[in-house]
Amino acid sequence: MTGEINGSLNLIGYGLSAIGGAIGVGLVFAAYINGVARQPEAQRVLQPLAFLGLALTEALAILGLVFAFVLK
Amino acid sequence: MIALTLPAQDGGSFNPPSVTSHLAPFFTIGGFEFTKQMALVLLSVVIIAWFFVAAARKGQLVPGRLQFVGEMGYGFVRNSVAKDVIGAKDFKKYVPLLFSLFFFILLNNLYGTIPWIQLPSFSHVTGAYFLALLVYVVWIGVGIKVNGLRYFKLAVVPSGVPWYILPLVVPIEIISNFVVRPMTHSLRLFATMLAGHLIVLIAGSGIEFLIAQESWLLKGTSILVLAGATAMYMLEALIMVLQAYVFVLLTAIYIEGAVHADSH
Amino acid sequence: MNNLMVLASVNAADAAPSPLSVNWSELLVVAVGFAILMFIVVKFVVPMFEKTFADRTEAIEGGIAKAEKAQAEASAALDEYKQQLVDARTEANRIREEARSEGAQILADLKEKAAAESARITEQAQTAIAAERQAAVVSLRAEVGSLATTLAGRIVGESLDDDARSGRVVDRFLADLEKQSEGAAK
Repeated sequence: MTGEINGSLNLIGYGLSAIGGAIGVGLVFAAYINGVARQPEAQRVLQPLAFLGLALTEALAILGLVFAFVLK
Repeated sequence: MIALTLPAQDGGSFNPPSVTSHLAPFFTIGGFEFTKQMALVLLSVVIIAWFFVAAARKGQLVPGRLQFVGEMGYGFVRNSVAKDVIGAKDFKKYVPLLFSLFFFILLNNLYGTIPWIQLPSFSHVTGAYFLALLVYVVWIGVGIKVNGLRYFKLAVVPSGVPWYILPLVVPIEIISNFVVRPMTHSLRLFATMLAGHLIVLIAGSGIEFLIAQESWLLKGTSILVLAGATAMYMLEALIMVLQAYVFVLLTAIYIEGAVHADSH
Repeated sequence: MNNLMVLASVNAADAAPSPLSVNWSELLVVAVGFAILMFIVVKFVVPMFEKTFADRTEAIEGGIAKAEKAQAEASAALDEYKQQLVDARTEANRIREEARSEGAQILADLKEKAAAESARITEQAQTAIAAERQAAVVSLRAEVGSLATTLAGRIVGESLDDDARSGRVVDRFLADLEKQSEGAAK
């Protein structure tokens, strides 16, 4: 049985770059859940912060996706 | 894209659908290609407008079933997104935008879960670009309207940072606020929709391909693919709702940042 | 050029534009569609929902106001009633107090009158007793005198009929007696 793979190496790069974003998003939401669990009334304050953090962190993964598409 | 090539004796190689494969347009007028996506976008406008006008029209104090559902949707965007994030003082002006965005994105995403339609409109990047650009223009406009041109200084110079770090911080803030924000805002929606759409498509064509194989072992494998695809389908349905929420929540957060730029 | 090409690409759509490029006809449709949606939402949906919400708030707050008013009225009536009760109680107390003092007054008057009456009666009785005693003394003195003289005359055999003399003797004797008894009493 012989197997062959073709495709773009970019996607492997993207996969690697997404690790950072994934860990970051995980940390952001872990902190958010911790905060809300300890102090449920702080949820309104924490929620925008958590999602801002998500947006900033995820930006890196999304940039990776863009480069995976754009670079040839 | 990755193409898995299976042994030749089992009947050719597997060509999965890729990000560059598109349906043929329904019809073409000059350079204008009317595709399934566009039909779905217009359909979503009709559905949302019809549903909410019908729900809101009666305006009974004790709502009927339709009105109750409509009010729940409207109240969700109004209270737990707009009011909670922007603040009870200024949120009213932005409710229409947030409301339209949420249900527009939600319905267009949920197309991905409906059998035979199964095409989230924002798996094409253009719509996501447009919405993110609109939001970008709105929050910068709001920032300038509320704070004047001082807004740009407020937005890029964080308070409480020593002056000698500013040359380092200001470019980062400019890039992250004015370049990366709209980009990620649109691409987040596009990428998740495209990925969800592709996974379902690839699983579908994979099942088809595996069943067409001669070996019974390979035919049986298609069950595993089906199970995995079903799980992914459920996950995607969740993500579709979540992405609509995230898009609108981020819009509200950006607007809030522009309205209260001097207190950040 | 950093594509890993194990096989020649089998994608027929390789010539298609990058997935990140803008499709202008789609942009137009999305923009128009979203503009229509925004228009309907701004013009109809949001005002209608906001009106319903406002009406509902109004209805609830109106109800609350009404209930508060009724509550206030009830408590005012209760206050008034309590006030009346307190008034009535003070009035009753006052009347009772008055009656008591009046009764005491009457009792005192009666007692005074009775005391005066009894004093008067006692005095009268004493006067009457004194007068009778005086009369008894006077008549006794006369009788005792004549009796004694008669007795003495019989004993002595001498007539002591001289009234004047015998009267003097008896008087002296009685005065002596009185003196003696007074000295014994001292």
